[in-house]
Amino acid sequence: MFRVLYIEDESEIGSWVSDVLREKGYEVVWLTSGDQLNQYLSTVDIAILDIMLPGLDGFSIGKRIKRENADLPVIMLSARTAVEDKLEGLSFADDYVTKPFHPEELVARIEVMLRRFQKNHKVLHIQHLEVYPKEMRIMDKHKNEEIQLTGKQFYLFQYFLQHANQILTKEQLYEGIWGEAYIEGDKTLMVHIRYLREKLEVNPAKPTIIETIRGIGYRVRA
Amino acid sequence: MKNFFRSLLAKYMLIIVLALSIVQIAYVMIAILLTGVSDNFETDYTSDEMDYEQIEEDWHKDANSLETEEDISRNFDKWKNQYPDASMFWVDQSGILRDATEKRDDLPTEWTSSFTARFIKDRYGENPFTVIAFVGEEDTDGFVVFEINRDVFQTSTQIAFDNYASWLFVGTLFLVVFFIFISFLFFRGIRKRLLQLQEAMEIRDVDELPIQIDVKKRDEIGQLEQTFNQMVHELRESKKREQEEEQLRRELIANLSHDLRTPLTKINAQTYKIAKQDVSNDAKQAIHALQSSVEDIDKLIENLMSYTLLMASKYKLDIQEVDIVRFSRERIATWYPVFEKEGFEINVELEPLRENVWHVDPVWLGRVLDNLLQNVLRHAKNGRYVELKIESRNSYDAIVVRDRGSGMKDSSNQKGAGIGLSIVDMMIKGMQLDWEIQSSNDGTTIKIKKNIQDKQ
Repeated sequence: MFRVLYIEDESEIGSWVSDVLREKGYEVVWLTSGDQLNQYLSTVDIAILDIMLPGLDGFSIGKRIKRENADLPVIMLSARTAVEDKLEGLSFADDYVTKPFHPEELVARIEVMLRRFQKNHKVLHIQHLEVYPKEMRIMDKHKNEEIQLTGKQFYLFQYFLQHANQILTKEQLYEGIWGEAYIEGDKTLMVHIRYLREKLEVNPAKPTIIETIRGIGYRVRA
Repeated sequence: MKNFFRSLLAKYMLIIVLALSIVQIAYVMIAILLTGVSDNFETDYTSDEMDYEQIEEDWHKDANSLETEEDISRNFDKWKNQYPDASMFWVDQSGILRDATEKRDDLPTEWTSSFTARFIKDRYGENPFTVIAFVGEEDTDGFVVFEINRDVFQTSTQIAFDNYASWLFVGTLFLVVFFIFISFLFFRGIRKRLLQLQEAMEIRDVDELPIQIDVKKRDEIGQLEQTFNQMVHELRESKKREQEEEQLRRELIANLSHDLRTPLTKINAQTYKIAKQDVSNDAKQAIHALQSSVEDIDKLIENLMSYTLLMASKYKLDIQEVDIVRFSRERIATWYPVFEKEGFEINVELEPLRENVWHVDPVWLGRVLDNLLQNVLRHAKNGRYVELKIESRNSYDAIVVRDRGSGMKDSSNQKGAGIGLSIVDMMIKGMQLDWEIQSSNDGTTIKIKKNIQDKQ
């Protein structure tokens, strides 16, 4: 079970979000200020912070958390929607959700963050595949055998899973995996995606795991 | 008074006064100098002795009293004694040159009346100074002539002047040139400082404001510099004040929107809780309407905030080089799931342009696209179609957003779109782009255009 540290001074919203998260199977530590932060910091998997708080504000708390523990994902959850606030928030935090929000959206973002920080070792079921995130083992349920990926294919698939449900453009994928600027017309990425599909998809000619979003890019839904 | 002596005016007055007094002093100096120098040119005669009229009178008087040859001779000796430079001779009644103090080759021994007449005519008012007097009272014993070179009678000052005239000329010239030179230096100094001041005024700091000048002198230019510095200071103050006001305004709007959103979040929380319970279909519909109203209010607050900031020109514009194709693709990628969920057909055609890079603010352009796509989602839902493509024509490149909704003329469908489109308009114009909107019952097409100047 994942422990969520949630700092929110507004009791109505705080209790609601805590309830929703508990329903979704998270353990929630809800604080109304950053005062007792240190007690819980080492025991939680993710932090969700409001910005306007009594005493230390959410930006300061978030920066402190990131300074002490860079591996703890931080999501800012605020009614402050100004671009400046978002930019400041995202300069250290991993995500910025604005109020009012849908609880499902918040939960989805929490899951993405946990996966990105590789805290979520829950087995992923993607169609006929079973993915064990901890050892990054991929099982084909139909054939009941492990699928072996080469280096780049592995990184590609891992990148897709870390950004699950998100549409990734060619540029984002190439730059995320190869670490250099994408040059228009470069076929490297296409070739790797084709190989990856040949290994993962039931019918590589009609891919369902790595979807092609026409005109935009690719997406893996998990 | 203290300030007056520091002024340029005082300096220039000083130069003029000095120049004038130098001329005056020069006169005095020359006079003193000449007197001093003239002491070295001792003459043999006293000023009384040098009086021509007196000599003439005396000579006549002496000549009148002469009777014999000895008298004449003695008289000559007496005069010779007094005027060693003089020359005297006697011509007798019959025109014979008789007695002369020195031997004279220029004079005939016999004087004809015509020679005498010419001699008198020649010597009248000329050099040497000549006095002719008849001997004796009866004028019957001829005449005696006294000659002396006028040069001998020059005053010492005149001599000194003659000797030092060229020096005097050079000195005067020097003074004139010196004065011109000092004036030139004076004005060149002023000119140089004015030019430096001009240059300094043109220098801009990082914040586009002029920088303060180092005030070295406290004259008129110094005062100008001081005034300029004061102006710069005031400018900075007002800029600072403006920034503070901007910050305050931003803060105020941010707080206001925060305070408005907090109750919205609470409404959301309550409706979510109600929706969780087992409720009738009517109630579910009501809850759904409530939720979508909350979303609408949220968007309105956002737009109102932006609109207020834009109207006050307080929305920061940060122009960057943006790859427009890539930017549009990443933007539609975030919207794709939303449209997908609503069952839209999504058509994305983002082909590379001749020039992919536009100079725009990515935040602003993002807002523009978000507002347009939001409007499609909100007001053109019945068309179930959204298209985002890049269009390239001879005169422009454009990002095109198209839907198949019932169009903007259907005003009942457009409530709330107004402020969003106002923001789109202000932002597009703020980034020096163009846009056009075509709307009919079959849908709406919006083009964000970048005009191409050179059509080569």
